[in-house]
Amino acid sequence: MTRLAKRIFYKELVSYKKRSSTYLSPIVFFLITIALYPLALSNDPADLAFLAPGITWICVLLSTLLSIQNIFNEDFEDGSLDIFFSLRVSTLSLVIVKILVNWIFSSLPIIILSSTVVFLLFLPSEALVILLTSLLIGTPVISLFGALAGALSLGKSSILGPAIVLPLSLPILILGTSAVSSFLNGENPSFYFLMMLAIFIFLLPLICYACIGALRLHYE
Amino acid sequence: MNKTFSNLKTFYHKLGSSPWFYKISGITIPYVALFSFLFLSIGIVWGVFFSPTDFKQGDVYRIIYMHVPAASVSQAIYYTMTVAAVVSMIWRMKMAGIFIKSMAPIGASFTFLALISGSIWGQPTWGTWWIWDARLTSTLVLFIFYIAIISLYSSFSEKKSADQAVSILTLVGAVNLPIIKKSVDWWNTLHQPASIKFTESSSISPEMLYPLIISIFGFYLVVLLSGLMAMRAEIAKREINKEWFKNY
Repeated sequence: MTRLAKRIFYKELVSYKKRSSTYLSPIVFFLITIALYPLALSNDPADLAFLAPGITWICVLLSTLLSIQNIFNEDFEDGSLDIFFSLRVSTLSLVIVKILVNWIFSSLPIIILSSTVVFLLFLPSEALVILLTSLLIGTPVISLFGALAGALSLGKSSILGPAIVLPLSLPILILGTSAVSSFLNGENPSFYFLMMLAIFIFLLPLICYACIGALRLHYE
Repeated sequence: MNKTFSNLKTFYHKLGSSPWFYKISGITIPYVALFSFLFLSIGIVWGVFFSPTDFKQGDVYRIIYMHVPAASVSQAIYYTMTVAAVVSMIWRMKMAGIFIKSMAPIGASFTFLALISGSIWGQPTWGTWWIWDARLTSTLVLFIFYIAIISLYSSFSEKKSADQAVSILTLVGAVNLPIIKKSVDWWNTLHQPASIKFTESSSISPEMLYPLIISIFGFYLVVLLSGLMAMRAEIAKREINKEWFKNY
């Protein structure tokens, strides 16, 4: 099982490397949306610093939406998924590896990029660590929901994915922004981190099996 | 004991058969319609015309006889859909899929009614149509969930896979809804001082309570009625070419 997972992992890495648009477009989208907020709201550093955690989280959430369709769609279209489901191999490792690679390529660059909000949105630099930690814990959950939405809406209209992911991700959005703003208010944010971690651990097996079930629907 | 259990089991198996359900629902619908009309009219007329005026809110409070039943029904429908989703996932019963498919639009419309009547009630009493309170927010999320379920269903052309997909989404939503509710509560306490109390501190008086209970009961009957009718329509739509349906 681990050997299979490793092979899928390398195969995914190669295929993501070839399709640079899949991981570049979320980055571009993220930077543009970050730039839209000061233009639309205000350029006052005090206002922006107050709004920075929320703006960053919303931009991260929206830009990860862009990559949802890519998680399973290519393998679905070229028939690799067919082979996986007809072979008696562990589909669980396939799903987990796919989610992991998708997170590495679509969320991780954005998390690294989001440290620029210290300059762009005047987030107090001591809160940056908290923001990055909340993103690191929170985005895997969003990737899980994204994978489920991608599996359910395989070969369907692309508007379906966001309609499924966004309502499901509300708790993560709330907890993530609350962690940063409670830190800025001088409180201890560890409660929010632990809650997000608990949600991730709780949902990981559930969503993975739901993904398998959803993928199997297309082969009945 | 054993006998009741086996009776229950046969009833459960019968529920899974669409011709049986089509026949039974055809017989029960007139009675359900009669009773829902009775309960609803008694509850609403008693509540709107004969219950005492609230001394704090005046006559505006009478929208409670629509708002509270709608809100209660909107959540109850999701619970029943969750049960049906479990049944559909485990036993692949097609009636469970038909149930979810027919109940989702009903749930969405009652959630919408709860939201609309709540904001109409909120305007004169709190002076605002909408407030980002915990309960309003989670009701709005529930409404979005219903819409997502409906749109997911309509995106599949194959009925069987649509049923399964919708069951998966309903179950994940059911797991997630309590988390959303709890996190919205935290968010609310963090961001907003509790300036407006949503639950009345004084308990409701019996003269107001009785019509409310009757009206809630009436709403549940209306849901039952519309659910039966929607399921019948869905069965007819799916099995129009079956032999039993042609001979019905």
